[in-house]
Amino acid sequence: MKVSLFITCLSDTIYPRVGEAMVRLLARYGIQLHFPTVQTCCGQPAFNSGYWKEARESAKTILDAFEDSDFVISPSGSCTGMIHHYPKLFEADSFMYERAVKLQRKSYEFTQFLVQVLGVKDIGAVFPHKVTYHPSCHGSRLLGIKEEPMELMRHVQGLELVPLPFAEDCCGFGGTFAVKMADISGAMVTEKVDHVLETEAEVLVGLDLACLMNIAGNLRYRNQPVKVMHLAELLYEGVKQA
Amino acid sequence: MAEQAGSHEEWLKQLAEESKRKQESFMNGIAEKLRRPRMTAAPEHPFRGAPDFWQDFEWSLEERMDRFEGNFKAAGGHVARLADMDAAKQFIAVKADELSAKYVIRQNQPELNELGLEEALQHTGATVRVWNSDADENWKARAAESDFGVVIADYAAAYTGSVTVLSSKDKGRSVSLLPTVLFVLIPLDRLKTRLGEILRNFDAAGREQLPAGIHFISGPSRSADIENDLTIGVHGPGVVYALLIG
Amino acid sequence: MSTAGAASTVKERADLALNDEFLRKAVKFTTERLRNGKKQASDEHGNWDDWRERGRQIRLHTIAHLDYYLNLFANQARANGVHVHFAETSAEAVKLSLEIAQRKQAKSVVKSKSMVTEELHLNHELESIGVEAIETDLGEYIIQLAGETPSHIIIPAIHKNRYQVADLLSKEAGETLAPDTSILAGFVRKKLREKFLEADIGMTGCNFAIAETGSMVLFENEGNARMVTTVPKTQITLMGMERIIPSWSDLEVMATLLPRSATGQKLTVYMSGITGPRREVDADGPDEMHIIIVDNGRSLQLGDPEFQELLNCIRCGACLNACPVYRHIGGHAYGGTYSGPIGAVLTPALNKNVAEWDDIANASSLCGACYEACPVKIPLHEMLIYLRRRKLEQGHGNAVESLGMKGFAAVMGNSKRYAGIVKLGKLGQKLVVRDGGIRLKLGPLKGWNTYRVTPSLPKKSFRDQWGTLEQELRHGLLELDPSVRSRMEGIMRDRDSGGGNGHG
Repeated sequence: MKVSLFITCLSDTIYPRVGEAMVRLLARYGIQLHFPTVQTCCGQPAFNSGYWKEARESAKTILDAFEDSDFVISPSGSCTGMIHHYPKLFEADSFMYERAVKLQRKSYEFTQFLVQVLGVKDIGAVFPHKVTYHPSCHGSRLLGIKEEPMELMRHVQGLELVPLPFAEDCCGFGGTFAVKMADISGAMVTEKVDHVLETEAEVLVGLDLACLMNIAGNLRYRNQPVKVMHLAELLYEGVKQA
Repeated sequence: MAEQAGSHEEWLKQLAEESKRKQESFMNGIAEKLRRPRMTAAPEHPFRGAPDFWQDFEWSLEERMDRFEGNFKAAGGHVARLADMDAAKQFIAVKADELSAKYVIRQNQPELNELGLEEALQHTGATVRVWNSDADENWKARAAESDFGVVIADYAAAYTGSVTVLSSKDKGRSVSLLPTVLFVLIPLDRLKTRLGEILRNFDAAGREQLPAGIHFISGPSRSADIENDLTIGVHGPGVVYALLIG
Repeated sequence: MSTAGAASTVKERADLALNDEFLRKAVKFTTERLRNGKKQASDEHGNWDDWRERGRQIRLHTIAHLDYYLNLFANQARANGVHVHFAETSAEAVKLSLEIAQRKQAKSVVKSKSMVTEELHLNHELESIGVEAIETDLGEYIIQLAGETPSHIIIPAIHKNRYQVADLLSKEAGETLAPDTSILAGFVRKKLREKFLEADIGMTGCNFAIAETGSMVLFENEGNARMVTTVPKTQITLMGMERIIPSWSDLEVMATLLPRSATGQKLTVYMSGITGPRREVDADGPDEMHIIIVDNGRSLQLGDPEFQELLNCIRCGACLNACPVYRHIGGHAYGGTYSGPIGAVLTPALNKNVAEWDDIANASSLCGACYEACPVKIPLHEMLIYLRRRKLEQGHGNAVESLGMKGFAAVMGNSKRYAGIVKLGKLGQKLVVRDGGIRLKLGPLKGWNTYRVTPSLPKKSFRDQWGTLEQELRHGLLELDPSVRSRMEGIMRDRDSGGGNGHG
């Protein structure tokens, strides 16, 4: 059985520790992740901006990379969500369309895979800290990832989960939106961080590195010491402490 | 005058002809855009009305009364449970006294004709008028100057806390709209659970049997247009009493 | 016009709005309240997604057979004694309306809320032939006195506070009115009561039109729409050609979805079904009733697989209340009749000129809150992407961005080039990284770094580390639990028979 890692650009280039945490956590369950290096980006930045031809170029590397995988796991609801757009992206080409549908059916965001596929709820972690959780839009709204991270966090010993006010509101990232409409995006991330600070949590946790980078960037800009972590990192940290 | 009316009629006729021509090209255009021949027979509509699980949902009478009361009050309305029509008459008379009502307008319905509201209000000095009982009267103006409007509900729905009133020669739309205070008498056998139980009657009746006005009323007139601050009594009646009778 | 009238792009108008502290607070306060109201109402009602799906199916079915249902509606309404008219363009709709007003020698028209008449700028047109047009919905009346356009589909004056409203109404009253909501509303009640009784024509929009009986349905809270359809001698209703539902039974679904989604109410205070002018024996209701069925760009969506669902919209405003962008910039920043996510898609779609309105489509982070809020499940977040794509297909791209995206494709289409660029980035960033972060406010980083610190690239990317990591883990790897293995195999089998991880 071939379980492959779809690393995503941000984890590959900026947050390799998140990919490493995933790999090490899954190894504890006997999952030897496979990492095809021909993969690049899912193509979302181009797709969302309307550049579908360019998005297809990028998406092809993902289709090639995971052609013979049985499961494809990524640390991002948004990038996995992009794979769900592949059938639409390739609708004019029946051969590619078939490949796209096949890939969509076997792609999972990390917590989806843990909970839905492996059936893991308690990963055996200890993390005695006050944590708040930002449910990223694409994961929660488009893939319906709502219960999985909650289930995993509920079973982490010592973890005190503080609800984030207006948690479901977008953090303002939105890819090129953050550049094109910088001031609106800035207002949104500022509001998001205001809510994070209201919780007085030590750690903000999430499932999407783009959103986390956005929120962490604003926290740092405002010199706020809240630590920002991907849930995979938090769980791995907790497993090491257990 | 007559000549002008005639030309107006002619103009309307001309518009009607234009409209029918336009209707054809409009519909053909739609069919063309939908890339299929013009659809002239009724298509099968597999999703008509509420979801199946909703269709047989029904509360007991007691629960209907409770829910209606809860919902109507939550919307800012008042509810009283009264044993019979006589009690309703007394209720209105007491309120007329309390609020010093001068003019009362009521629908011309048999139950209200038998009620004897006129006698009951005599001591208060209030005048009771009966909608459309005199062809020469300006009934909209009479309703507009009334303090009280009194109507009997044709239906009510507990789930939304709504009453339904249908218009006719004897049942003015203005009576439930223009007075300051509205009394709606609801015989209990007309209190249903869901909106759908009422709406399906209009489908069953068909176009030709429908009155010009069908109005669902779920409390006093309100607005939240200024700073989202709830204001009661903007254009319609600001005080509404639903009287559950039976 | 609106305060944002002078600015020409969404970005400029948004900047104005972002600097208007009051506007942001007011819009935030009200949208939050409406959003909570909707959540409470839909939770309490239960099975919300089943109802949404049913609403969607009814709308899909009706639009897919619109020629049948609209034709039926027109015939039935005519049989009820209504004068039915068809207008392909806004100009035709205006012409018809003005002609009726002139024929009736109307001095004044009282109007209840209608977004279609906003599309047509009908008030202005009526004034131009000397007919007074009076908006009677409290919020619309305020906006009209201020000379502005609505900034929310259902709460037109969402951006005004009570002090501003008191100033506007005091001018009208000729005396100072206290900034107290009930005093202000009381003044409007009295003032407009006279207007209702004097007016020659009542003008309305239409929430739903019931094909089988030729009836039109209005949802409202104030009672002004009932006034407008009860008191004046002539009624003119302007309806978008897509407002149709087949039957009264279908109305139950719409009546369940619309008020809950709009304001969190179980039903609006008034829901009125009007079937023709007054019967001869009736003592109120209009003598003459006109319904003008307006296309004005709507039919452009028909047969367009990416946009036809736009016609399913029931104008509840829930997407505005859910939208974080709308919350920060308000409705006027969108620059069209319709604002928020629905406006961002509908305005370009109705106008067919994608290029001119394209910047609206960029004013979204594509978070999908609009889709989640939509009672008939219109995928607005996806339509925004389609709009962006169409703009490019029509050759209206931005040269710099296009070049950038070509570069993106060149790099991302090949993993070796991709790895090379990452390496280059690590070299290049040495110039700008301080303390593990980038704060430089220059070039493409200017906007981003005005609110954030950009993280630097670590020494080794994941792919640089992979070889070592894999080697380390290969030793001492645990066996996959047999029960987990069979679970995974089961999932794979399901997938072959059409199951698998579907789109949520």
